Amino acid sequence: MKTRNKITTLIFAFVFTVISLMCWFKTPDIYSMSERRELSKKPEFSVENVLSGKFQEEFENYTTDQFPYREVFRSIKATTATYFFNKKDNNGLYLADGHLSKIEYPKNNKMIDNAIEKFDFLYNTYMKNSDVNIYLSIIPDKNYFLASKNGYLSLDYKSFINEFKDRLSYMKYIDVIPYLSIDDYYRTDSHWKQEKIGDVAYELGLKMGVNVESKYDVNTLETPFRGVYLGQAALNVKPDSIKYLTNDILNECKVTYYDTGMPKQGEMYNMEKANGKDPYEMFLSGTSALIKIDNPNANTDKELVVFRDSYGSSLVPLLVPGYKSITVVDIRYVQSNFVGNFVKFTNQDVLFMYSTTLLNNSMAFR
Amino acid sequence: MIFSSIPFLYYFLPVVLLVYYLSPKVLKNPVLLISSLIFYGWGEPRYVFLMLFTVMLGYIFGILIEKFRDKKISKLFLILSVLSSLFGLVYFKYADFFIANFNKLKGFSIPFLRLALPIGISFYTFQILSYTIDVYRNNVKAQKNPLTLATYVALFPQLIAGPIVRYSDVENQLKNREHTFEKCADGIKRFIIGLSKKVLIANAIGELGEAFLSTQNLSVMYYWLYVISFMLQIYYDFSGYSDMAIGLGKFFGFDFMENFNYPFVSKSITEFWRRWHISLGTWFRDYVYIPLGGNRVKKTRMLFNIFVVWFLTGFWHGAEWNFIVWGLYFGVLLTLEKFYFLKHLEKHKILSHIYTMFFITVSFMIFAAPNMEGVVKYLTSMFGFSGIPFISDEFIYNLKNYAFILIIAIVGSVGFSKYIKNLIDEKAKDSIVVYILELVFLMTLIFAVTGYLVDGSFNPFLYFRF
Repeated sequence: MKTRNKITTLIFAFVFTVISLMCWFKTPDIYSMSERRELSKKPEFSVENVLSGKFQEEFENYTTDQFPYREVFRSIKATTATYFFNKKDNNGLYLADGHLSKIEYPKNNKMIDNAIEKFDFLYNTYMKNSDVNIYLSIIPDKNYFLASKNGYLSLDYKSFINEFKDRLSYMKYIDVIPYLSIDDYYRTDSHWKQEKIGDVAYELGLKMGVNVESKYDVNTLETPFRGVYLGQAALNVKPDSIKYLTNDILNECKVTYYDTGMPKQGEMYNMEKANGKDPYEMFLSGTSALIKIDNPNANTDKELVVFRDSYGSSLVPLLVPGYKSITVVDIRYVQSNFVGNFVKFTNQDVLFMYSTTLLNNSMAFR
Repeated sequence: MIFSSIPFLYYFLPVVLLVYYLSPKVLKNPVLLISSLIFYGWGEPRYVFLMLFTVMLGYIFGILIEKFRDKKISKLFLILSVLSSLFGLVYFKYADFFIANFNKLKGFSIPFLRLALPIGISFYTFQILSYTIDVYRNNVKAQKNPLTLATYVALFPQLIAGPIVRYSDVENQLKNREHTFEKCADGIKRFIIGLSKKVLIANAIGELGEAFLSTQNLSVMYYWLYVISFMLQIYYDFSGYSDMAIGLGKFFGFDFMENFNYPFVSKSITEFWRRWHISLGTWFRDYVYIPLGGNRVKKTRMLFNIFVVWFLTGFWHGAEWNFIVWGLYFGVLLTLEKFYFLKHLEKHKILSHIYTMFFITVSFMIFAAPNMEGVVKYLTSMFGFSGIPFISDEFIYNLKNYAFILIIAIVGSVGFSKYIKNLIDEKAKDSIVVYILELVFLMTLIFAVTGYLVDGSFNPFLYFRF
């Protein structure tokens, strides 16, 4: 028994010493690819910081963020919670029908009010007295197809969408849900797949009175797509691959980005971002306040303004064949009261196209 | 600093252990004292001096009480010691409670002090009180070395959430204590088990509590799920902390008293309080109940004594009326048991267990509420008198989501693991396979706990607020 006590003590002393030395001497990482965020830096030591507790708080974040083999330990946690404790979700993320998703629940009335207020502001400021046709389309997040079926909490999508339809009565609602299924979304990410939403684009065009039908070449990115949920969930799920659609119409479009207010020419598909931290950002270069797409091959003079979130990045290119120009606005990155400086609202189609996730978490609207 | 954190486990503790074991005997207590002050100062840099001041007062009064033993002034020093120790506790913990009630009663609007509660003040105040009272009773000798007394009070394994270690229990260990591989091995096992109870079970169940508190989807059954999970969370949180404290104490050669003994197997409220937070219960017994006369007085006086103790026990837990009601609720139940039906309970094992668990569950609802309005709301909702539905979607989801953890927690809380351990000790104590499996099990727990901590999950210690 004495020998065993000695062995137990020495084994644990050795393990703690090794981990401790690794913690003390590990070179800090700057960025977590899996969580897509900057990692904490070593806090500045000063008497003031210590007395205020700032140093201690930041040091705890630093040691947690910079822990050696952090990804392995996160994976141990996720596996323990999911497979040993049989938790249905881990930090709100769950795996069902081969898809990773994040619970979107409960309905956040304040956020809904905020979104509607912003839309009302845009309407009253720019569109009320102009001859634009205004449309609304709400994109269901993945939980619409996964949650209830697999016993997870979810929004009451019908009442959620009806609330927007009722309160935004000046918009014509375009229902795209019949054209979607869970297979139209990436397994490891929140977004939909561009190659699967041609019918959604067609329906939107149809309801707005244009034909957006066009033939495309399907291209596949070589690098695997590790969607946003894959890193967060830290579970062993096979990555996706990104496909994107091209044809001569899209290739010949002039795409202008106005991120800093100054116009800058760019591409419909940003291949630099395709190999970056979030490959989905290849579609219209990811987060952009304002983009203008000019289609020199258009058979029409019709123009479209799209107020959108990231789902719009992959869908908007598919609307291009039906319009002479499309202006894409993201009011998370441009103040609503500045939009009029860049866009003149006259004789256009205006489409508000947002996911349920963003509408239920609209604090970023400006 | 909390035990269940990366800075403690992999930065603080290894360095302290290394320095401690490399130090000669004469420096071991100073090393412990300095590390305890760093440990405390990490979370409460400004209140380190308050704690040291309280220790200093205890030290001076201890010396004076002993010096003037058998003289009347000795009692005066004891009273001064008790009052000065309690002053800090009352000022920081209860001032706003008294102001609020005074304002309400007299219609005044005296502003609140809004002081941050120094962590662990309820625990270390009681330790200093036990020291000076024991010196007065001549149970222990006054400590001549202020550093040794400070080491006793500030000893980081038990400083901020107990067990309430009495000076008399560790007096000799402060001077001479053994450091053996046996103690270390026991300490390692105890510490890892406590850490796992806290991180893998209490924190996980705590997330269910957080979900309940922010829900818009209440139901009667959700209240029951919440109170059951709250009971288990508190048990695993607090008993896990006590296990860690006892385990850490062993690393440094100390033997601290047990603080929990599977309270949920109790068949009476009386038995429950012999198994729950033992160090607090025995403290009130020895330093309040018995000095008031205990059982050896008239029935009416005994009743008075019981209610004083349970009023104070409730109030010790928090500066809100619901804690006082919670304490008095136990006072009533214990009185009824003592005078009427304890003997009947002993005859009906299953019924008495159901009775005990029912009243304990209700007590936790009183305890969990933020105030008296909350108590009324919680209790009426729990028993279906508040007009909320019987069942809700969130209840169903969270029941499924946490079912497995709750089952593990319930099975663990009624001593199943102890039963298995005893069985193994009996049948295969010397088996090398069992020994290796135990090591693998403990190592797995450490890696799982580290994973949970690295993932930055929910991690508050509930008893820090007391």
